[in-house]
Amino acid sequence: MYLSKRKLTSEYVKKAVVLSTIFLIVIFAGIFLAFWNIQILQNESYNRLAIKNITRLIELPAPRGLVVDRHGTVLAENKINFTLYLVRENVGSLEKAVQMASFFSGKNTAAIRRIIDKFKRHANFYRIPIKSNLPRSTVIFIQSRQDEFPEFEIGMEPSRTYPLGDHAAHVLGQISEIGDAELNAGAAAAYGLGDLIGRSGIEKQYEPFLRGTKGSQTVIKNNVERIQQIRSEITPIIGDTVVLTLDLQLQEFIENLLAGENGAVGVLDLKTGGLLALVSKPEFDPEVFSREMGWEEWQAISNDPQKPLQNKFLQGIYSPGSVFKIIMALAGLQEKIITPATTVFCSGSQVFYDRVFHCWNPSGHGPVNIFSALQNSCNIYFYNLGKKLNIDTIARYARILGLGSQSGIDLPNENSGLVPDSAWKMNAFHQRWFPGETISVAIGHGSLNVTPVQLLKMIATVALRGRTPKLHLLQRIEKQGKIIKEFTPEFTRVPIAKENFDLVCEGLFRVVNDEGTGRAAKIQGLDICGKTGTGQILAKENPRYKILTQEKRFMPNSWFVSFAPRKDPRLAIVVLVENGGDAGAIAAPLAAQIYKKYFENEGLL
Amino acid sequence: MKDYFKYFDKLTFALLLLLAIIGIFLVYSAGYSTQEVYFLKQSAWLVFSLLVFFIVFALKTDFIFRKAIAVYLALLVILALQIAIGGTVARTKSWFRLWGIGFQFSEFVKIPLALVLAKILTQFEVINGRAFIKAIVVIAVPMALIILQPDMGVSFILCAFVPLVILLKKIKPAVLVVSLLLVFLGGIVGWYSVLKPYQKNRIISFLNPSEFKTSTGYHVIQSKIAIGSGGLAGKGYLKGSQSQYQFLPARHTDFIVSVIGEEFGFINTSILFFIFFLVFYRQFKFTFQNDEEFYFVYLFNGLILFQFVINVSMAIGFFPVLGISLPFVSYGGSSLLSFFIGEAIIFRIKINNFLA
Repeated sequence: MYLSKRKLTSEYVKKAVVLSTIFLIVIFAGIFLAFWNIQILQNESYNRLAIKNITRLIELPAPRGLVVDRHGTVLAENKINFTLYLVRENVGSLEKAVQMASFFSGKNTAAIRRIIDKFKRHANFYRIPIKSNLPRSTVIFIQSRQDEFPEFEIGMEPSRTYPLGDHAAHVLGQISEIGDAELNAGAAAAYGLGDLIGRSGIEKQYEPFLRGTKGSQTVIKNNVERIQQIRSEITPIIGDTVVLTLDLQLQEFIENLLAGENGAVGVLDLKTGGLLALVSKPEFDPEVFSREMGWEEWQAISNDPQKPLQNKFLQGIYSPGSVFKIIMALAGLQEKIITPATTVFCSGSQVFYDRVFHCWNPSGHGPVNIFSALQNSCNIYFYNLGKKLNIDTIARYARILGLGSQSGIDLPNENSGLVPDSAWKMNAFHQRWFPGETISVAIGHGSLNVTPVQLLKMIATVALRGRTPKLHLLQRIEKQGKIIKEFTPEFTRVPIAKENFDLVCEGLFRVVNDEGTGRAAKIQGLDICGKTGTGQILAKENPRYKILTQEKRFMPNSWFVSFAPRKDPRLAIVVLVENGGDAGAIAAPLAAQIYKKYFENEGLL
Repeated sequence: MKDYFKYFDKLTFALLLLLAIIGIFLVYSAGYSTQEVYFLKQSAWLVFSLLVFFIVFALKTDFIFRKAIAVYLALLVILALQIAIGGTVARTKSWFRLWGIGFQFSEFVKIPLALVLAKILTQFEVINGRAFIKAIVVIAVPMALIILQPDMGVSFILCAFVPLVILLKKIKPAVLVVSLLLVFLGGIVGWYSVLKPYQKNRIISFLNPSEFKTSTGYHVIQSKIAIGSGGLAGKGYLKGSQSQYQFLPARHTDFIVSVIGEEFGFINTSILFFIFFLVFYRQFKFTFQNDEEFYFVYLFNGLILFQFVINVSMAIGFFPVLGISLPFVSYGGSSLLSFFIGEAIIFRIKINNFLA
């Protein structure tokens, strides 16, 4: 028999067993309850957290809609853009990678470091965009030596392209990446970082239609955001197609006509109010804004004295010069200050308020009535008319005919110009209006400022004898081939009698067809009515002063506003040539060529 | 030989084997997404551990107790040498590589330590000052060496011996007061001199995990999500998103409970816990010949229970993350081997009476 050496009493042992068993039961019951609480009672909320951990919604960008002209010629579309990416987890030596990135992109190493730094919080395998619009040669170079440069990846994304280059650039406008500040301001709820947004022109105006509907992907990813599988995908929908009233052929024709000049031309279809051509010179290449632009490039464009980014047709403000006489004539007739029988004797100059005012013809026009006053653009006639009409009446008619306010054309950032009157002067200068100033305004000078589009709208109202068309570039918007929006012509009446328009039109007809100032616009077989204008400018204030020739520096801006035919008019044109000089010799013949081109194309000439 | 088999606690052994096999399956799942072959190594360790188990089981208990102090001292020397010259694996010096196999000697200290403590408890009628100082020194020296390795988890586990010693024997009130003061002092000294900033952070983040969501609290939050989202029946083997998409950190070691919780659910996790319960229950009830045998079984079992509770509490955020594995289940060969050696001694103690 084995002799136990144990001294511990059996009571002690029993107590130990009982206590340890109780302890075990308490401990395990506690663990059981704790797991019951987490796994059963809180299961739902933890389940949500687990799903949130692994699922991500990834946005898929939508291609922008196309912009086409009235015949379907594509003006703006999308192409594949190659982007250089750096992936940090594949970087061997950061120094070498930065050097190579700098070499491939043409950016300096400091700029590369800044980019990499910007993404330092992202996962190591995140593709850091170094440069977009990579030249094809670089793409091939990198791809053919992929094992030499494992840290670089080439990505392909759709980007905006304008196949016609700078043609119609001002109509189309530009797009660029949305900024952090805009996103933070919350103004662009539907946009995310890196999204493109229309900044000017049609791209801005019809942004909601063009931008399309983003798609999305629900993906399963792991703890370091690496995608494991794609659960579901909603394909993005391309933006709507915007069809413009523009006729690209005519547009290009006019752009070539104005080669080398600064200025603006608008061609209006009087039946619909749609613009057939909208030219602003010089143009710019809208594509430079879709890609990354260097600081120097941006500086060069924005500081160019020719202001290529400005759409002069609706943003440039000019003195209307003698074109304003149309408005003066209408005001005088409607206010019954003058009749066709009213005559004034022009001796070449006349004194008003102790100051001598000159006609452009120093030898004078002799006796002039409303028709010959328009025909020869006689200043003396309109000085006298201006003296009888006060400035506030003149301003009222100018505004009725669309001056001093935006034309309402469907393009953003339009300038309003300025129609001066006594209230304006009091407000701006705290001075009363001097009657002498009215004399200058009567021939379109003084503080009066207009945009070409305002004059186009004005001449359209004259052509239609008091009906003002709503100007527009949009013909229709198509969503996957279906028309979802179509422009219907709209006209509004102005409170000026039709007979007065007829009288003015007679004068405008003589301008072109009866040896008037616009005789250079005369075309056989087409009744063109028009008015020339020379807008005075202060040479020193001209931003182009330094780049113009000695001769051109002091030349005024040339205007020609016109419409044709006289009866049942179809077309209205405004031509502005900056520093063009004699309007009759510069602007009028340009208009003639445009009429010729258009009416020949239509088979009407 | 027939008696050996007859009185051998076959059920408890089967339960332990089951725990180890469940462990291998969970370790396989934990390494599945990253194609780690931990489960193969763990299987090899299990075979080796069982071999050693039976060798130790065959040894006479008297012999083991006789050699305990020598083994204890030898281990201290090895630990000290490791600190002095040791190789560095994963920031710590606690690994020792032998024939390509990594040995973590700190894991083995608990066996001779429990044996030595059992001897001390047998020597004294009550815990007086001398007995207490002796016990504390015997515990503190290896703890200090392991802290220097540094291996906080293993070192912390050895703390369990202090309350166990106090519970197992009558203690003089004065000694109890002094020991409580010592624990308090030890805590302060430990906080300001021993713990590294990252270890302190773990403890701070335990108190407020959501404030450390992306740093140290991350582990606990992800572990709770794994367990909580497992629900009643789990997401299925190899199908847990937290485990397979690598949200769960240290899946094969510290957070192996979270893997079973997520993939097998509440029911199966409870079954795992019940197996542990049965093992503990059966190992606390036995016959013995010698007081030191009794003390050893209670000390060693108590230690396993302590480690089990700490590990499970860690996984559900009831305890700071200290790098403590789940006995028998977590990946770790040295840990598995040491537990099987300890169990072999217990199994032998349990049959000594019948063999005589």
